[in-house]
Amino acid sequence: MSDPTSNPFSAVEPNSDLLSVVLRINGASHALQIDPRATLLDCLRDTLQLTGTKKGCDHGQCGACTVHINGRRRNACLALAAVHEGDEILTIEGVGTPDRLHPLQAAFVARDAYQCGYCTSGQIMSALALLQEPCGPGDDEVREYMSGNLCRCGAYANIVAAIQDVRGQS
Amino acid sequence: MSASHSAPTQASPMNVIGRPHPRVDGALKVTGAARYAGDHYLPGMLYAVPVGATIAKGSITAIDAGVAEQMPGVRAILRRGSFPPLGRAELDMSSADTTSILDEFRPPFDDDVVRYYGQYVALAVADSFEQAKAAADAVRVSYAVEIPDVDPALVAEKMTVKSERGDAEAGFAGAAVTIDQRYAMAPETHNPIETHATLAVWEGDALTLHETTQGVINHRNVVARMLGLPAEKVRVISRFLGSGFGNKLWPWTHSPLAAAAARTLGRPVKLVLSRAMTFQSVGHRPRIEQRIRLGATADGKLTSVRHDYVNATSILDSYEENCGEATPHMYSTPNLRVTAGIARRNIGTPTSMRGPGAVPGLYALESGMDELAVALGMDPVELRLRNEPSIDEGLGVPFSSRHFQECLRVGAERFGWSRRDPRVGAMTRDGLTLGWGVAACSWIAERFASNAAVDLRDDGTARVACAIQDIGTGTYTVMAQMVAERLGLPTDRIEVALGDTRLPAGPVSGGSMATASLVAPIHEAVAKAGAALIAAACAAKDGPFSGSRPEELDFVEGKITAKTGNRQAMGFDTVLKALGMPAISGSGSGTGTFMAPGKPTVSKHSFGAHFVEVTWQPETARLRVARTVSVIDAGRILNPLAARNQIEGSVVMGIGMALFEETHYDARNGAPVNASLADYVVATHADAPAMDVHFLEYPDTSLNALGARGVGEIGLAGTAAAITNAVYHATGVRVRELPLKLEHLMS
Amino acid sequence: MQSFELLRAADPSAAIAAASRSATAQQGASVRFLAGGTTLVDLMKLGVEAPHLLVDINRLPLDGIGRAADGGLRIGATARNSDLAHDPIVKAEYAALSQAILSGASTQLRNAATTAGNLLQRTRCLYFRDTATPCNKREPGSGCSAIDGANRMLAILGTSEHCIASNPSDMAVAMLAYDAMVHIQGPQGERQVAIADFFLLPGDTPDRENVLQPGDLVTHVTLPPPEVGARAAYLKLRDRVSYEFALVSAAVSVTMAEGRMASVRFALGGVGTRPWRVPAAEASLIGQPPGEAAFRQAADLALAGARPQSQNGFKIELARRCLVHALNQVTR
Repeated sequence: MSDPTSNPFSAVEPNSDLLSVVLRINGASHALQIDPRATLLDCLRDTLQLTGTKKGCDHGQCGACTVHINGRRRNACLALAAVHEGDEILTIEGVGTPDRLHPLQAAFVARDAYQCGYCTSGQIMSALALLQEPCGPGDDEVREYMSGNLCRCGAYANIVAAIQDVRGQS
Repeated sequence: MSASHSAPTQASPMNVIGRPHPRVDGALKVTGAARYAGDHYLPGMLYAVPVGATIAKGSITAIDAGVAEQMPGVRAILRRGSFPPLGRAELDMSSADTTSILDEFRPPFDDDVVRYYGQYVALAVADSFEQAKAAADAVRVSYAVEIPDVDPALVAEKMTVKSERGDAEAGFAGAAVTIDQRYAMAPETHNPIETHATLAVWEGDALTLHETTQGVINHRNVVARMLGLPAEKVRVISRFLGSGFGNKLWPWTHSPLAAAAARTLGRPVKLVLSRAMTFQSVGHRPRIEQRIRLGATADGKLTSVRHDYVNATSILDSYEENCGEATPHMYSTPNLRVTAGIARRNIGTPTSMRGPGAVPGLYALESGMDELAVALGMDPVELRLRNEPSIDEGLGVPFSSRHFQECLRVGAERFGWSRRDPRVGAMTRDGLTLGWGVAACSWIAERFASNAAVDLRDDGTARVACAIQDIGTGTYTVMAQMVAERLGLPTDRIEVALGDTRLPAGPVSGGSMATASLVAPIHEAVAKAGAALIAAACAAKDGPFSGSRPEELDFVEGKITAKTGNRQAMGFDTVLKALGMPAISGSGSGTGTFMAPGKPTVSKHSFGAHFVEVTWQPETARLRVARTVSVIDAGRILNPLAARNQIEGSVVMGIGMALFEETHYDARNGAPVNASLADYVVATHADAPAMDVHFLEYPDTSLNALGARGVGEIGLAGTAAAITNAVYHATGVRVRELPLKLEHLMS
Repeated sequence: MQSFELLRAADPSAAIAAASRSATAQQGASVRFLAGGTTLVDLMKLGVEAPHLLVDINRLPLDGIGRAADGGLRIGATARNSDLAHDPIVKAEYAALSQAILSGASTQLRNAATTAGNLLQRTRCLYFRDTATPCNKREPGSGCSAIDGANRMLAILGTSEHCIASNPSDMAVAMLAYDAMVHIQGPQGERQVAIADFFLLPGDTPDRENVLQPGDLVTHVTLPPPEVGARAAYLKLRDRVSYEFALVSAAVSVTMAEGRMASVRFALGGVGTRPWRVPAAEASLIGQPPGEAAFRQAADLALAGARPQSQNGFKIELARRCLVHALNQVTR
């Protein structure tokens, strides 16, 4: 039988609905008090106001909320924030800034790899992860690896072109 | 990848119009720094989650919010009676400033009658999203339930003639070949990845809305009327919009609801719709049934065209899908009759979805043309070429610029159409059966009334402002291009302000009209700013142009020049500095053509042709769209990089329309049951074919000085028909109900 | 989402002790293990799952993948689907499993989803996911909305008058073909259950989907040693190209000897209320040369007793074609 007092998920105060959690986001630690129900997505947005990560479906069906957790891409909408204490979380805000674009971000601009821009953070976080994943060289393989990120504007061809520019392939 | 993937080059100022130009707002979009409506947070802000009806017909008998109200963080469970009734906005299309247009007229909480599934019956407001959502789930609503009518078989209340010439029936009597077929389309849901969001904040009696809208001015006016406020007390901001495809054109009920909640509770309120709600309460393209009758001579000349269609609409609102928009002008025929009707169902109010009317209409017409070609034993490109009209026979006026035949010829060449074996299933590659199909597209070319202002500043930069929106089409960029070209500046010296009702009134971003609407007001604003600068320079006591008379000077490419003589031109920044003026402004305005009174003197439309190759593997019933060629005649293309993206995106959406997209209403409770992005299937990266997009560039100056029409919607028109025509060529199966599913092909 | 308490289990026995307090390990459980969360958090948002206690098992040492003592494979319960699909042993020796996993969901979801979570993922039936409608699986006795509703995606095999929900897993289909063994640690100790016996048919208790009892923790799955010379594949058919659940799928593995099939394994997905395998259908091919007629006959045996619903009758023929094509692929 576990001893509840040893549970690392301790409430801020007795009877409080909030948990005290330290999250590592873009290299910085954030001491937060969060609702256990809060997803990583809502925590990033509502608590930290890191709004680059978007909510499109809230059910793992569109990819707009893609972030990296310990170097791997995940849907932040299906991750409970409190569970990720101690994990290294990377969001779009940690990839580059308007003045210092990551090469992938610059490629997205050059290729017009978006329209409305709403799914773009998720596309870039997936593409950034893809660079380290066992994805084959061809456009078809990139398309398959990117299919967890819907773009309703349909800028798919340009997104693949941008990724292939950075990979040095096409 | 096709050749269309050559890397874009940064435009120099002199050729900034018509060259591929990366977006000026691109760096904000790729870094997550662009702030969309839902990205704003205010101190003390509350979160609202609507409670939607779980019936589609009946009435509310009780709302038990006892449990919900006691939950942690809950501020209120609002319902009918929680705040004074909201007013009803009336239609007003009199000017850019007073526009008031909406599709769902009933204000939220107006009565206890439920007319569609998901209609808002209560609103939970709490300190956090988690709390508000849990509270909304805990509200218990009792209903007197009636059986809803969501019957997909549509019978019109009455049919109205939309266009008629000659004698359509007599035209069939004399035809050698006739076609009479019915085509149905499932309801489609727009599904922009950004769901609708409103952040409402009151300061005294003034309201600000951070809103997902394709029209800030229109949204302001509608919400002001519903809240009983003068329009100037409402500010609507939409600087970045996660697209809309039409479902953010007109205000929906969540927005005044959020505003009323914020007023009632005295705190800012944020309301973001769930994905499921966007299937219920913010419009959709309704189910449409169409009948196409064509008659032709043995050599393929049309003798008669009939196009009759019915769309579903909601109980209270009469949304009409104008499917016959393109039919009267697409082909030459002496006899034609187009009729339309609506059928009321217990569904949310439909609304414009990308290419409303023409997109479903051309699916039917272009399917019928393909069937006619088969019946005639004629090549479908040839059939279309043979029926080219010399004027718009519907309006009886000439076209401003029509190059449809060239679209067909250039497309056929780029696609390799001459190698097409017309026999069904005769073409193969790598063990797959190939199908090649073609279809035409057309879309209106109009403009809205708009204003704009331009500031020239002493640091050599300029600012252009208009209360228009960038919905993803590239409006920020094209506005910067227009000003840059006039001032001879690179676009990075142009600041663009849009998406705010405090700016000069601009139009909705819809109908593919934004770009065309902006040209005249922006050109005039630049010219007026230049004229003001000349006047100031001439009037100055001791400045570079003191003593000159304004009529001796010109303002060209950002410089004041003398009309005669060798005097050195001087840039506006230098002049401003010399005058000690930080900036000088000019404003401009342009008139609208869309729905303007009186009979038009020219017919303004864009045209195009799509060629599609599908692959079919009968052993696994696997159907794929492999490659497409789209040739588009949309006037001068101001930014080919963004324009090509619009057409490619439309083709991708067209694949969804043809093969995947269907909102399924459950006959028992009237719910759109597949209200998610897993169950409403849209195209993924892996579904995108190899796409070749080519623009014929014939400037159409009937609409604006730059000769631009618009490209946001035309690419979706015709795509589904080209796909289903290709499927017929591969399989011999003619599917006349979208979406086409693999089981249709398995017989 | 309803409020809950969150507990991080220090070790498996603590997790088991906490979960054993739940009245059921099935629908309606008051205690749930949380691993990748891709099913559970999704269903909690929909109100379909409403546990009072979540036991976070992500940090338990259950994520290993490695060679088992018998030469087979031992797959930890919390090994991520991505790790399993890209594991060199899996790719080389259990190709159908790797392909099955990679055909499912998206990279993001596979990075989160775990072995046990995938085995236990819930049906995608629209009505199961909608608490405003009757569903016998979600709320026993309330009725089945799918039988007279949207059922194109649902099962044609193993259905009952109470439930026609299809099992959505791709991974489990391949594991079934490979004769996986599910290892469970519970309040009464450890046990193992063949995957063929792990999933229950809906019958008149569609809320019960598997043999797990309160407190039972799937610790790992083992696969027997690979068959020498086997050629295997997973073929998944669906409407769009990627990121969609199967209409039908087939995991196949065949070894050949002197031009005849020496061993044949296959299982079907997308068609059954559980991953579907018919040993007699496999046996019908043993000793035969590969061929369309034989494959079709085997497919008929595999689909014997299929009961189409109003919208999914095409699945019978589609499943036949899927199986025949997959068998052709590995015997060509």
